[in-house]
Amino acid sequence: MPETTTGRDTPLARLRRSVDRTRTAARLPFKRRDAAAVFAGVTVGYLLVYLFALGHLAPGLGRVGVTVVADPVGTLLRPALGPLSFTPVARATLGPVTYLFSFNTVIGLGVAGLVGLNLSLSYLAWTQPTSCGIGGSSTGALAALPALLSGSACCGPVVLVAVGIQASSALLTAVQLLLPAAVVLLLGSLVFVGRQVDPAAV
Amino acid sequence: MTAFTRRGFLAATAVGAAGLSGCTTSGSESSDPPADDDSGTGPPASPAGSEAADGAPTRTDAPASDPTEALPTAGGALPLPMTPAALRAEARSGGPSKDGIPSIDDPSFVAADRVDFLEGGDPVFGVARGDTAKAYPQNILVHHEICNDTVDGTPVAVTYCPLTGTVQGFERGDTTFGVSGRLINNNLVMYDRATETWWPQILATSIPGPWNEDPPTVSLREFRLVWTTWEEWRHEHPGTEVLSTDTGHVRNYGRDPYGSYNPREGYYRDGTTLYPRLATDDSHHPKTVFVGARTPEGAVAFEKRAVTDAGTMDGRLGDTPVLAVADPRYTTAYVYLNPEARSFEYEDGRLRGDGERFAPDDLPLRRVRAFDAMWFAWRGYYPDTEVYA
Repeated sequence: MPETTTGRDTPLARLRRSVDRTRTAARLPFKRRDAAAVFAGVTVGYLLVYLFALGHLAPGLGRVGVTVVADPVGTLLRPALGPLSFTPVARATLGPVTYLFSFNTVIGLGVAGLVGLNLSLSYLAWTQPTSCGIGGSSTGALAALPALLSGSACCGPVVLVAVGIQASSALLTAVQLLLPAAVVLLLGSLVFVGRQVDPAAV
Repeated sequence: MTAFTRRGFLAATAVGAAGLSGCTTSGSESSDPPADDDSGTGPPASPAGSEAADGAPTRTDAPASDPTEALPTAGGALPLPMTPAALRAEARSGGPSKDGIPSIDDPSFVAADRVDFLEGGDPVFGVARGDTAKAYPQNILVHHEICNDTVDGTPVAVTYCPLTGTVQGFERGDTTFGVSGRLINNNLVMYDRATETWWPQILATSIPGPWNEDPPTVSLREFRLVWTTWEEWRHEHPGTEVLSTDTGHVRNYGRDPYGSYNPREGYYRDGTTLYPRLATDDSHHPKTVFVGARTPEGAVAFEKRAVTDAGTMDGRLGDTPVLAVADPRYTTAYVYLNPEARSFEYEDGRLRGDGERFAPDDLPLRRVRAFDAMWFAWRGYYPDTEVYA
């Protein structure tokens, strides 16, 4: 059961307690092999889907090799096709697959980790809620939905080609907000789950 | 750029007229048409006016604001569909910031027999001048839109807008062109790095923008690039050079974010545009390819397939009769002024007229610059265009 707030609780104290519990919750999946496997699988899977949606993992010219731009560090944060889109600094080709490394891989890995944490906590809540000390109302799965959409957020209007929608200013703004919105939702979901952690049961 | 391959470490290269006062609209009084080198296989374009005939003016160290001082410009301004200020108001962000789509500024080339990244049917944009023949693959330019190059000693910019299906060559003097990140009528808005003036690609004419608020309205000196296939270009120019994938940038040149031309799929085939058009005219599919020509006297467009099927088509550009002629070698077409309405007939890939035979790109008529464009783009920019299909 979550702790009840007392009259002496300040907002700062509540925030600290939520952060502490979230950190506790974030460690839970790594205490069980099956939950850790869910975390790893979801994180890797999501990252691959994200990179594919971005066009940074796609069929290529069929060569084998690695190419790096002249100044990869200086180029890493150079904007590319839109907000939160960064220019690729390295290309790896392996037969039919071409991978482009940019700062978006780092962003994607962060989002993928959040999705992995949320879904692995949901998995724990579903399988062993009591022994893990969390309640049964984890929202990790729901929070993952905008995160999945965010994979195409960096593509800007190009993603609209696939669905045949003309880009309006409002739509472009909405697309640009998908990624930060997904991150906020995923963090919120983690905090929400963390607030339900029963420290005594962990 | 540094490349590591299984064949070993390779070091690669680093990335590296007259000013007219006021607006020039389609109804304006015309001057001489711009130069008529249109084949993609002829000598460099020459301007109608003599001002830039000796090449690009010398660039000073101080930032210039007048593009006529920094760029070779044509003698007469091309028609605009509205005032330059109104065109500026139509500009919208395409998503990328300024230079977010990076131009190729230090291109390298490979010989035809070393090209392993093109299929025979893949589109290339070709130009042949003097002893030089160069091909710019569409699958590379779709990621860069502008290649600042030198052809036969002339500094040029090869430009391609994937959203309007237009490829145009411009002389650039001592400066280079970049991608502004803005679009008008879904068409690339370039900027020159000497004066930061905006140049909508199809219009080839300066308009005001945030980086140069009040440039004179002038048009760039253009030259023709042939939109053809790798198979056709290589057949006609076996010694051609081909723009290399070693562009100084890393992109996946095997992936076109908009679709495919070989076969035609995605954006290049569907009936939608990414951004609003300047005009909507459903008399043709928006992506139907027209061969368009414009001079200060007006504009004319021939459906490309209709010309290549018929061999020749008659039309008018302003008050002047014109003749569109197909060239099966490249599956392209040219537009000639034909004021005397002379007639030519196709015969074994050549045209017969007045008892003589001529190559399709060498008729004894004055050729006007023409290029491929998607219907919606041409119609939006040239609302008074004559249309033949």
